Amino acid sequence: MLGRRQFIRQCLHTACAAGVAGSVPQLLLPPVASAAQDAVLAVRVGEDIPQLVRQTVAALGGMKNFVKPDETVVVKPNIGWDRPVEMAANTHPLVVQTVVLLCLEAGAKKVQVFDRTCNDPRRCYVSSGIQQAVKAIDSTKAEIVHMDRRAYRDLDVPGGKALSRWSFYLPALEADRLINLPIAKHHSISTLTLGMKNLMGVIGGNRGMLHRKIAESMADINAVIHSDLTLIDATRILVANGPQGGRLEDVEVRNTLIASPQIVTADAYAATLFGYQPQQIETILAGHHRGLGEIDLAKVKRL
Amino acid sequence: MISVNRKLRLAVQLISLLGFLWLFLQTEYRGTDELAYPVSLLFRLDPLALLAAFFAPGESNLFLLWPALLLLGLTVVLGRFFCSWFCPLGALLDLLGGPFRRQQLNFIGWPKLKYYLLVVLTLAALCGLQLFGLFDPLSIFLRSLTLVINPVWNLLANGLFDWLYQAELPLVSPVADRVYPFFRDFLLAFRQPVFLLGLFTAAVLLVLVLLERLQPRFWCRNLCPLGALLGVCSRHSLLQRVPQTDCADCRFCSSRCRMGASGTQAVHSAECIRCLDCLEFCPHQRIEFNFGTRSTDKFDLSRRSLLTASVGGVLLAPLAAAAPLSTKSRNDLIRPPGAVIEEEFLRRCIRCGECMKVCIGGALHPDLLRGGAFSLWSPVLVARLGYCEYDCTLCGQVCPTGAIRLLQVKEKRKTKIGLAVIDKNRCLPFAQGEECLVCEEHCPTGKKAIVFERRKVLVGSDPQELLQPRVLTELCIGCGICETRCPVAGQSAILIVSEGETRTPQRLL
Repeated sequence: MLGRRQFIRQCLHTACAAGVAGSVPQLLLPPVASAAQDAVLAVRVGEDIPQLVRQTVAALGGMKNFVKPDETVVVKPNIGWDRPVEMAANTHPLVVQTVVLLCLEAGAKKVQVFDRTCNDPRRCYVSSGIQQAVKAIDSTKAEIVHMDRRAYRDLDVPGGKALSRWSFYLPALEADRLINLPIAKHHSISTLTLGMKNLMGVIGGNRGMLHRKIAESMADINAVIHSDLTLIDATRILVANGPQGGRLEDVEVRNTLIASPQIVTADAYAATLFGYQPQQIETILAGHHRGLGEIDLAKVKRL
Repeated sequence: MISVNRKLRLAVQLISLLGFLWLFLQTEYRGTDELAYPVSLLFRLDPLALLAAFFAPGESNLFLLWPALLLLGLTVVLGRFFCSWFCPLGALLDLLGGPFRRQQLNFIGWPKLKYYLLVVLTLAALCGLQLFGLFDPLSIFLRSLTLVINPVWNLLANGLFDWLYQAELPLVSPVADRVYPFFRDFLLAFRQPVFLLGLFTAAVLLVLVLLERLQPRFWCRNLCPLGALLGVCSRHSLLQRVPQTDCADCRFCSSRCRMGASGTQAVHSAECIRCLDCLEFCPHQRIEFNFGTRSTDKFDLSRRSLLTASVGGVLLAPLAAAAPLSTKSRNDLIRPPGAVIEEEFLRRCIRCGECMKVCIGGALHPDLLRGGAFSLWSPVLVARLGYCEYDCTLCGQVCPTGAIRLLQVKEKRKTKIGLAVIDKNRCLPFAQGEECLVCEEHCPTGKKAIVFERRKVLVGSDPQELLQPRVLTELCIGCGICETRCPVAGQSAILIVSEGETRTPQRLL
């Protein structure tokens, strides 16, 4: 039998606990949910890019597995450089366009496309062809926007090894879904730049500092930013003078698309395109140790 | 009662000021490599820019400046109308100076100063030292706009919008967030502009505005060399006022005319800026402007003063040249890509600030002393603050005098404006034994001008393999993105120096 005093005490305890739990901002919760999923991977090859994107996403069960009706979605391609499509410095505009269309078809309420660029943002958006591709969809639900300088916030990095606190771009964290669309490229310090490094495009601060401990920094960043789907554009890859290239000699056409709900798994497969074992890439290894996905491709279920 | 003419002039003055402000806002990358509008129209209209280009060595593209010839021609017909109808600095002084204006003070002989100044500047330019830009009212206007007014406006507006965004005030904040995109897209800069020499430039503008307290249009009456040049052309212009002096029974014009043009001191035909205000304020309706009358006034410039001014102008040039060449003793004078050789550059550049406004990377800043004592306000690239975008040719597109040549993108990519050198005492892989490759990552030349070398180094007593950057002199174009992005705090560990620039190939390492 519950006594009156006991009842009051229990009520107070519950209220305190709820108060404490409620006062912890949701953003600080480590998004470890992804680690619980099965390690799955879809790889497709084809020359018709929109078709290729659709096939690859369909292999993972279709966009409806990732985007539910009335959700907000952020699509994060690499638009880092003032380079035209054929130089393979930025995600192919048709990949971006098709993914945005798939999100809309899955019933997304709003799809935003953005990237914190390295060259002048206006030039990058135009030269990459991505601005035109998104505008061509001509839907009020899909937009490409420049970063809003007001929307960066300093957040704690729980369990961070290189970083304890960093500036993040809130719209990327607050959207219901984040779809990561990197392009596979050579990078002189991290060897390759793939999905994990692409999410450097939604952080603030002096990003140059991160290169001092690039692998752990990337793992730290990715521990805070959870992406629901990673789709690596390897339709053409940059094998030297990355990450911005500028010479056609350094571009290889591979017509390949790699997709996985787990960022590190997608990165691990992409590394093999360049002739590396996933374990050879420090960033991928660090991500794996941080529980961001399976990198032993033998253990990954190919769809 | 306001007469139709005065209303018309005020409307034209306002519209042209707004027009120039609109062109100013368009002086920016808007999604196409070529600017859609002739944004530097103001300087293509500028006879002083024409003079500067005319006296400069090298080939002058006078096609760029034909509107200035047109303006001179029109002035011969209509008189010094530009000053009251179109000059944006004049409009700004009328607008901002209004509250400061008091009873006119009389400065006997001062209006002549501007002619002497014009003589000094012209002869100095003829002899090799071009200083028109320092005193050109149009340069003063655009410079103030670029370096002072626009940055301040952006700070204020963005500060307000940011505050409302964060404070989330009921009613007000939602409205502010609604109108913000319009401001962001059309009225505010893409990125907060910041410039060196802002305070100094602001002080100059402030002085000109405060001088309004002594006399309306103090600057225009007494100092403006463009006013002087237009005044000279206006001297025999077809459109003249009748009468040209105060009437014997009424001295009203002397106290009301914003230029003091009808006083006994002045040459009316040259001082009158055809603002037509006197048509309205004359209590006796005696004034008319017509094309028939010839002015009989003579310039009363003393020969002795003219001679002194001429000698002064001629002597200024060697005086400036007698200083050691700054390019001999320093290497931080980085000019925009397409800049002609330094001697010609200084003779062409009229310090208008268009290139600094349009620079997409925020790299161009007004110079103080890098290029010598007379390089004031000319553009220099300060790579720590911004870099030259690889595929951008905007500065050459806006330069009105050909000081910066218009380059095609292909040519631009190959134009060296300097060379990156690594400061090994501060560069992380050399000084700290830590890997860092930001400069290499950002280097835009297709085959990178910064490469890595894997070296075995001792960090303490610990042998380590490190990637260390090296600059390839033949590939580096000195764009400066490495210096801008170098993550080392304060001064960069990789610096752009002026060695090996394309325009002076003999200055090699």
